[in-house]
Amino acid sequence: MSTEHSAQTRRPPALTLLMRNPLAGVFVALVAIFAISAVISPYFLSGYNMSVIARGLAFVGLVTIAQSSLMILGELDLSLGTIGGLCGVVSGMLMVQAGLPAPMALILALCLGLALGFLNGLLVTVLGLHSLVLTIGTAGIYGGAILVLTKGVAITGIPAGIQFLGRGDVLGVPVPFLIMLAVLAIALFLSLKTPMGRYMYAIGNNPAAARMLGIRVDRIRLLVFTLAGMLSALAGLLMVARLGTAQPSIGQTWVLAPIAAAVIGGVATTGGVGSPLGAIFGAGIIAIIENIIVLFGVSPYWQGVVSGVIVVLAISFDALSRRYLRRDGA
Amino acid sequence: MAYLEARGLGRDFPGVTALDGVDLSVELGRTHILAGENGAGKSTLVKILTGADRATRGSIAIDGQNPLDHPDLFRKIAYVPQELSLFPDVSVAENLFMPFDRTGHGGLVNRRRMEAEAQEYLDRFGIEAKPSDMVRHISVPDQQLLQIARASTNRDMKVLILDEPTSALTAREVERVFRVIRSFLDRDHAIIFISHKMEEVFEIGQDYTVLRNGRKVDAGRVAEIDEAALIRAMSGREVAIDEHFRPDCPVTDTVMQVDNLSGPLFRDVSFTLKRGEILGFAGLVGAGRSELMQTIFGYRKASGGHVRVDGRDWRLNDTAASVAGGMLYLSEERKAHGIFPLLSLRENIGLSVLSLTTGATGIDSRKERGIVARVIGDYGIRASGPGQRIATLSGGNQQKAIIGRAMATTPRILIFDEPTKGIDIRTKAEIYRIMKRLAEEGVGIILISSEMTELRRCASRIITMHGGRLTGSFDAASTETETLVGAIFATGTGAGGSTPEDAEASHVN
Repeated sequence: MSTEHSAQTRRPPALTLLMRNPLAGVFVALVAIFAISAVISPYFLSGYNMSVIARGLAFVGLVTIAQSSLMILGELDLSLGTIGGLCGVVSGMLMVQAGLPAPMALILALCLGLALGFLNGLLVTVLGLHSLVLTIGTAGIYGGAILVLTKGVAITGIPAGIQFLGRGDVLGVPVPFLIMLAVLAIALFLSLKTPMGRYMYAIGNNPAAARMLGIRVDRIRLLVFTLAGMLSALAGLLMVARLGTAQPSIGQTWVLAPIAAAVIGGVATTGGVGSPLGAIFGAGIIAIIENIIVLFGVSPYWQGVVSGVIVVLAISFDALSRRYLRRDGA
Repeated sequence: MAYLEARGLGRDFPGVTALDGVDLSVELGRTHILAGENGAGKSTLVKILTGADRATRGSIAIDGQNPLDHPDLFRKIAYVPQELSLFPDVSVAENLFMPFDRTGHGGLVNRRRMEAEAQEYLDRFGIEAKPSDMVRHISVPDQQLLQIARASTNRDMKVLILDEPTSALTAREVERVFRVIRSFLDRDHAIIFISHKMEEVFEIGQDYTVLRNGRKVDAGRVAEIDEAALIRAMSGREVAIDEHFRPDCPVTDTVMQVDNLSGPLFRDVSFTLKRGEILGFAGLVGAGRSELMQTIFGYRKASGGHVRVDGRDWRLNDTAASVAGGMLYLSEERKAHGIFPLLSLRENIGLSVLSLTTGATGIDSRKERGIVARVIGDYGIRASGPGQRIATLSGGNQQKAIIGRAMATTPRILIFDEPTKGIDIRTKAEIYRIMKRLAEEGVGIILISSEMTELRRCASRIITMHGGRLTGSFDAASTETETLVGAIFATGTGAGGSTPEDAEASHVN
């Protein structure tokens, strides 16, 4: 009788590994969706299409790295998209209207992103505000500033010299994608191999216990908000370089997509678990599906529906597998 | 025939048999003690008895019938968990009747009528709070009693399972809870009482069942067993209960001096901590002991006074500076202040030794694994491996991980706040031994405890607090328990030690 019982509860070790390690799970999902796409569409694997996907992924990917780091910390910044947009627009104004040299304009715009992220972090730590609620407000302020500065009109005449950052390729790989990979590598090193990364997970798990352990909780929070603001600004600048104009609409799609990507990639909205790598895998899944929708000529209006469905599926799968593991007393 | 009968219960999980061949019989009108160390299978058994889990083998009978055929029978069994599970920002009355399916008022909540009915329960259970009070604002013993009262709003309930209901209470409050339990028993009900505390077992218990490693090892009448035999049954070996753990070394220089410190819930506190002693702090819940220590540690803001450590001024209001300076505070709130629940045992331990494991190329994983393995070995932490999520370990093993993590940093001052809350006897002795060894190695040790026996067994000196002030300082070996209790309640019988006035006078000079 006991052998029968254990046979019932045993399951393939590969399945267990998948469910225990969310990173492996989302990676398998990414590979599967990639493979299915390659089979159903003859254009999918073409070099041109691959570079379209990679380039598109780069911008939202940078914001995803920023947002997922904040989520691990137990925070959320809904103003990252408008920070990116505002910094992009400001860089355009500095280059075109103020006539500053491009490198200096880019550095100043990055510093603006840093300052706006720092401001969000300062309000969260010093006043103890809830980051989700606070950044609904600051997102409105930064987004409003874009419209005030541009009056809704794109700034054209971006120097051709910097457009390489957005449009160029190195060995056939889009430059912004390479920049995103470099940032991802730094983020992974920070999160896995440095005390700061460990502190982020600790704070996301239990801020009170983190303080009891002598972790300077507010300092880490402030730092991550600041870096997140800077990364969003970087995404905004690269987008300006890519488009050759500073559009007031830059960043509008960088609010919910990074959160969705992080959730698909196993980052909990409640903090303390997940990895920026998983979030990028999640962003990759969304990017491929959006690409397939375009390749099949489906109305782009369906994109929102599809990525919403993926999020719901991903978190449902996560909850179900956790329940399955718990039932076995594991 | 007993009202609740379990025969040969077994419960298998993959790779683990949590329960095997367990019998239990609970009679109405009696208090049945369920004893056993952490991990003995008590909670698995309780889950099966309440219908939250199913046995792999064996049978249960409630009132002679199998509850698996008549699931309504599980309503006869009520369970009050160890942790408070009330809604803090909801009124006493609403907590009592949540989810309002027992009020019999239909679909709407009639507040006045509900509060009137709540008052009957509050009277019966001796709860001093008003029905309209927010639970957050009522006392801890009232909260504990409210949990019991809530279970009894279930009119079908016959057997009440109390899981360590007194772990957050002081001696006098325990008396109050016990009075309520006894009066409740007259009503043709039974109680299953889970406890680690021997004095409680012998005070309230009538029958007992002891579990060890998932098996029933002993059962019978409490009147026919003595403390030593019960502990032997629980732990499987002799544990000397009268052994003391006071450091056997000379008390030398001052490690820490606290002068006129004030803060939340305490005022004008002065004391010294010497090298080679364990300094005990006794007092009621709310006397300000935890707040005092958390303020010294920097977790709470001091409003006045200062602290010197090894002769140098100590920076207050900064936990990072305290930890860097070698002071650690181990909170009684393991869940709220101790563990990082979603992280592994390894990450939980590794967090406090990052200064040792981080080099130029980041955290050295091999070094970290080595330190973690040593902590797990040295402190006898039972886990499937360093990768196990800490939240899935037993309370005792979590506590050992927290202590081991603190030790790995070679601290100078360690503050233990109720370190053995909810921990079995054998693990308790291990923790006492660790404190003793550290004190003998020259680490300044402060022990806050609500268990007088614990303080008497471990502390060299005991300071008593009442209402946020020190009420005495006593040599632990030569002072009667009555004197200490007097100082805790501030009844003025604490003549044996120095009064706050004496302490102040000595600081003026």
